[in-house]
Amino acid sequence: MKKSVIARIKEWARLNSLWVLHFNSGACNGCDIEILDALTPRYDVERFGIRLKASPRHADVLLASGPVNHQSAARLKRIYDQMPDPKIVIAVGTCACSGGVFRGCYNIHSGIDSAVPVDAYITGCPVKPEAIIDAVAKLINKVKAA
Amino acid sequence: MNETLQVLFSLFIFPGLFGMVALALLADWVDRKVYARVQQRVGPMYTGKAGILQPLADVIKLLSKEDITPGESSKFMFNFLPLAAFAAVMSAALLLPIGFLNAYNSFPGDLLIMLYLLGLPTIVYFLAGWHSHSYFGIFGGVRAVTQLFAYEVPFLLAVLTPALLTGSWQLSEISRLSASHPLYLLAHLLAFTVAILGLQAKLERVPFDIPEAETEIVGGPTTEYSGRKLAVLHLTHELMFVVGSATLASIFLGGFGSGLWQFPLFLVKTFAIIFILSLMRAAAARMRIDQLIEFSWKYLAPMSCLQFLFIIVLKVLEIA
Ligand code: SF4
Repeated sequence: MKKSVIARIKEWARLNSLWVLHFNSGACNGCDIEILDALTPRYDVERFGIRLKASPRHADVLLASGPVNHQSAARLKRIYDQMPDPKIVIAVGTCACSGGVFRGCYNIHSGIDSAVPVDAYITGCPVKPEAIIDAVAKLINKVKAA
Repeated sequence: MNETLQVLFSLFIFPGLFGMVALALLADWVDRKVYARVQQRVGPMYTGKAGILQPLADVIKLLSKEDITPGESSKFMFNFLPLAAFAAVMSAALLLPIGFLNAYNSFPGDLLIMLYLLGLPTIVYFLAGWHSHSYFGIFGGVRAVTQLFAYEVPFLLAVLTPALLTGSWQLSEISRLSASHPLYLLAHLLAFTVAILGLQAKLERVPFDIPEAETEIVGGPTTEYSGRKLAVLHLTHELMFVVGSATLASIFLGGFGSGLWQFPLFLVKTFAIIFILSLMRAAAARMRIDQLIEFSWKYLAPMSCLQFLFIIVLKVLEIA
C-alpha cells in the first residue's frame, strides 16, 4: 500500500528528529554512563537529529536502563504514560532486557517489559554506545519498513 | 491593487509569516551548527544538506505528535498562551524597518512598542508555567520573572542609547541616521555589549538559561507542553531569536538600507548577531539566579548608565 504524501512527510520528520528521555529504573549506573557516552562529541548522535530531553512530554524515545524494582515500576509506568504518542521504548542493558545479574532478587522485576511495552532490546553489561546507535538505526529501519 | 499586493506580500512572505518562520528555522540550524563546531562535533548532518532541514523536521514532528493537556492545568490559559506569545513576536517582526509595510506602520515611538512586544513572551512563559500547575513549571515561571527584573532595566537603557544619540524614537529613523554616521557604533559600543548580553538573557539561552535549566527543573515553563503547543512555543523562541537580533542590528548596526539591498543586508547583519549569541551559548556555563542578578545590577546597569552619561556629554559638547 502506498502512503500518502502527508504521512510520508510525518514519518520523515519523526524518524529524523528523535528526542530521547533517559530513565534509570534501578541500574548500577554502568549503562547510564554509556548512554551519556553516546551523546558525547565522539559519537555525536545529534548528527541524526537525536537530542536528550529532560521532560517526558517532549520525548519520543524512552531509553530505560536497569532491571525495574518494586519502587521504580510505578514511576516507569507513569513516565511512559506522560509521553505523547507515538512513542518508542528501548531497553538498554542486560538488566533492562531480563533482569540480568539482579534477576531473582526479592525486590526485582524481570526487566523493562514487565512494566511497559518495549520496542527494542540492547544487551551488554554495560552496553556499548555503538550498540545503542546501532539499535536506534535498526529501529528506524523497522519503522520505515512497517 | 499594487498596494494591496505589497501589503499581502509583507504580511505573509517577508517580513511576514513564511519568511520569518523560515529564517527562524535557519537561525536554529546556524545556532546548532555553531554550537556543535565549538564542541568539536559536526551537528545535524543527515536531514537535508548538512542537516539544514533539521529544525523543520523537529517542528513537523512536534506538530504531528499527540497534544496533551494535563488534567491539573487550567485548560483555556494552557492552550491559549503559546498562541499569544507567537502573535506578539510575529507583530514585532512586522515592525522591523524593512520591506513594504514599513511605510504604513512606522511611527515615532515604535521602538518602545517593539521592546514591549519582545517582552511579552517572558510574561507568557511565567503564566504558562503557572497554569500548567506542575512544580517545575511554576519554578521555571518564577525564575523567568525574577530574571526579567535582572536584565530588563540594563537592556532597556542600552537599547534606548541609540535613540538618545540619534534623537529619534522611530526604528527606521534610528537605523537611517546611524547608517549615515558609522562612527555612532563606536560611540555606543558599551551599550551594544550590554544589549547583546540582555538579549541573550531575554532569550533564556546559556549562560542565562536559568528558567529552563534542564538539569535542575526539567524544562521550566515548558515542562508540561507537548505536541503542537510545544511546537508553537519552540517556534516563538526561534522567532524571537531572529527578531531580537534584527532589532539590535537595525538600531546599532545601521539598519538595512532601502530597496533591493535590504534583504542581503538583513541576512548579513542579523546573522552576525545570531553568530555572536551562538558562540556565547557554546562558550559559557549556566549562572545561578543570584549570580545573574548581582551581575546585571552591579555591572550591566552601571555600564549602561555610564554609556548614557557619555552620550549626554557628547550631545552637550555638540560632537554628535
Ligand atoms: S546491564 Fe550491567 S552495567 Fe548495565 S545496569 Fe545492569 S548491571 Fe549495570
